[in-house]
Amino acid sequence: MDDFTWGLVQIVGVHTILGLSAYVILLTGQVSMAQAGFVAIGAYVAGMLTVLAEWHIIPAMVTGGLAASVLACIVGFPALRIRGLMLVVATIAFGEFVRLFWFNFDYRIAKGDIVVGPEGGEGFKQIRFFPENGWTTQDVAAFVWVVAAIILATLWWMDRSRAGKVLRAVGEDEMAAQSVGINLTVVKVAAFTAGGFIAGIAGAIYAHYTTHIEHLNFDILMATFAIAYPILGGLANVWGTLFAAFFIQVIVIEVLRDLGDVRNLMFGALIILVMNFLPHGLFSAKVVRKLKEWMGIGKMSDA
Amino acid sequence: MEFVDYLQAVTDGVMQGAYYALIGIGFTLIFGVMNKINLAYAAAAFGGAYASLGVAALMNTGGDFGLPPLLMFLASAVAAGLFAWVVYTICFRFTPDHYELATLMATVGAFFLIEEIAVHATDGEPMDFPEVLHGIVEDPMIEFSDAFAIRGDLLTIFILALIAMAVLLLLLYRTKLGLATRAVAQQRTAAQLCGISVDRTNATTFIIAGVLGGLAGAMIGAAVGVLSPLLFVPLTVKGLIVTVIGGLGSIPGAIVAGLLVGGLENVFLALRGITERDMYVMLLLFLFLAFRPQGLFGKKVLRD
Repeated sequence: MDDFTWGLVQIVGVHTILGLSAYVILLTGQVSMAQAGFVAIGAYVAGMLTVLAEWHIIPAMVTGGLAASVLACIVGFPALRIRGLMLVVATIAFGEFVRLFWFNFDYRIAKGDIVVGPEGGEGFKQIRFFPENGWTTQDVAAFVWVVAAIILATLWWMDRSRAGKVLRAVGEDEMAAQSVGINLTVVKVAAFTAGGFIAGIAGAIYAHYTTHIEHLNFDILMATFAIAYPILGGLANVWGTLFAAFFIQVIVIEVLRDLGDVRNLMFGALIILVMNFLPHGLFSAKVVRKLKEWMGIGKMSDA
Repeated sequence: MEFVDYLQAVTDGVMQGAYYALIGIGFTLIFGVMNKINLAYAAAAFGGAYASLGVAALMNTGGDFGLPPLLMFLASAVAAGLFAWVVYTICFRFTPDHYELATLMATVGAFFLIEEIAVHATDGEPMDFPEVLHGIVEDPMIEFSDAFAIRGDLLTIFILALIAMAVLLLLLYRTKLGLATRAVAQQRTAAQLCGISVDRTNATTFIIAGVLGGLAGAMIGAAVGVLSPLLFVPLTVKGLIVTVIGGLGSIPGAIVAGLLVGGLENVFLALRGITERDMYVMLLLFLFLAFRPQGLFGKKVLRD
C-alpha cells in the first residue's frame, strides 16, 4: 500500500474515534454538537505539550483528552437543566465558542531558530512529533488503530455491562430510569465527560498526523461528522459507528473522488435519505437482532 | 469611547438586529408548531436571497440590475418560502414523529446540501448583492451631529422588518389560518379533532417562516453588499441564540432578543473587535442558559 492509502487508514481511525465520542453521549438520548470543540481542545493542548514542552505523544494525548473531558463535564451540568433541543443549541454555541477561542489564542515561543506555537487565525503549525521521532506513515496508522481498538473494545464491553444498560435506560425513558433509582445527574454528566475524553484523544492524534491545525478545522462540519457516524450507523452497538465512518470517509469521499465536487453534495443528501428510510440508522436494534438470528448466534441470549 | 459612540453603536446594532429577529421568529414559529428545530432554516433563507440574484440576472437587460429593489425582496421571499416547503417535505414530512433525532439529523443534512449547492452555483466566490436600498433611500445618512447619524439603508431594513413582523402578527391573530396554526401549536390532537389538517398547517407554517427568512436573507445581502455561503453558519448560530434568549416558541421574545443581540453585539464589536465579538454573544447565551433557561418570554419549563 502507498502512503496515500495509509493516510486514509489514519483518517478512518481518527473519524471512528470521533464518532465513538458522540456515541457515548447519544446513548443517553442527548445530542452534543460540541464534539468538534472537544476535539479542538485535545488537539491544541496535546500539540502544545509535544511542541512547546517536548512531551511524548502518549502522555500528551491523555492530557489532551483529560483537558477536553473537564470542559465536557462542565458542559454536561447545564445539560441537566436544559433538555432536548435547547441542548442542541447550547452545544452548537459552545463548539463555536471554543473554535473562536483558538482563533484568538496566541502563544508562541522561540525554539532554536524558529518560533513555534499556536498563532491565532494563522493556526498552529509545525506539530512535528511523528517526523522528528522517525515514525513512518505505517507506524502512525498502527498507533491510530491501536488507540481506536482500545476505545472500541472498552465501549463494546461497557455496552454489555451494567453501565451500558444504565446509559440506554436513561436514553429510552428518563422518568422510568429515575423511578428505578438511577441518578440522572451522574449518568448524563458521566456520559458527557467520557465523550469529551474520547473526542480529546481524537483531537490529539489529528493534530499530530496533520502537523498543522487551525480553528477552521473544528467547525460545524466536524461536529456533524461526529454525530452522523453513530446516527447513520445505528446505536445498537459500536460497529455501526465504525461502519459509517468507513463508508463515508472511504466510499463517499475517496472512492468517488472521480465524481469531483459533486460528492460533497452526497454527504447531505445521504443523511436526508437515510433519515427518511432508516430513521434508526443502518444497524438499528431490530436489524441487529435479525442479523443475529440469521447467523444463528445470540438465540439463547436475552435479546 | 464616549457616550455618543456607544449610542451610535447601539443604534446601528439594533437596526441590524431586525434581521436577527426575523430569523429568530422563523426558528421559533417552527418550534412552536412542531416542537422541533429546523437547522436548515437560515440556509434555506439565504437560498432565497441567492435565487433573487438569479432572477435579477435573468431579467437583467441593461447595465444595471433589471429588478426594482422591492421586487428583489419579493423574489427572495417567494423563493425562500418554496425552499422552506422543500425542507419540510424532505426532512419533516416522512421522518418519525416521536424520534426527534432523525428529524434533527435530516435538517443538518439539508443544511449541508443547500450550502454545497450555493458553493457550486457560485464557484465558492462571494456574490455582489445589488445596492437595492440606494434606490429607495435618497439621502444615505440622516446626520444629527458630527458624531451621531442614522444610516438610511439600515433604517429602511428596520422599517421593512417591522412591517413584516406586523403582517405576521396580523396573520397569526386575525385570520383563520393563524387560528389553525396557533391551535396546532397549543394542542395538536385537539386541533386534529376539530378537523384541522396538521400536515397542511405545518407546511404552511414552514412557508410563512421561509418567506420571513427570505426577506431577512435579502436584507442581509443588501446591508452587507455580498452573499456568501460563509454567512450560513454564523447566521444559523445567531438565529438560534436569539430564539433561546427570547424563549423557545415566543414571537415577541424573538423580536426583543433579536434587537437586543444586535445592539449588544455592536457594542462588543466596538470594544473588543471583530474576532472576539461573537464570543461575547455566546457568553450572553450561556448566562441565559444558566440563570434563565426559559428565556425572556418563554414559559417556565418544569421537569417532566
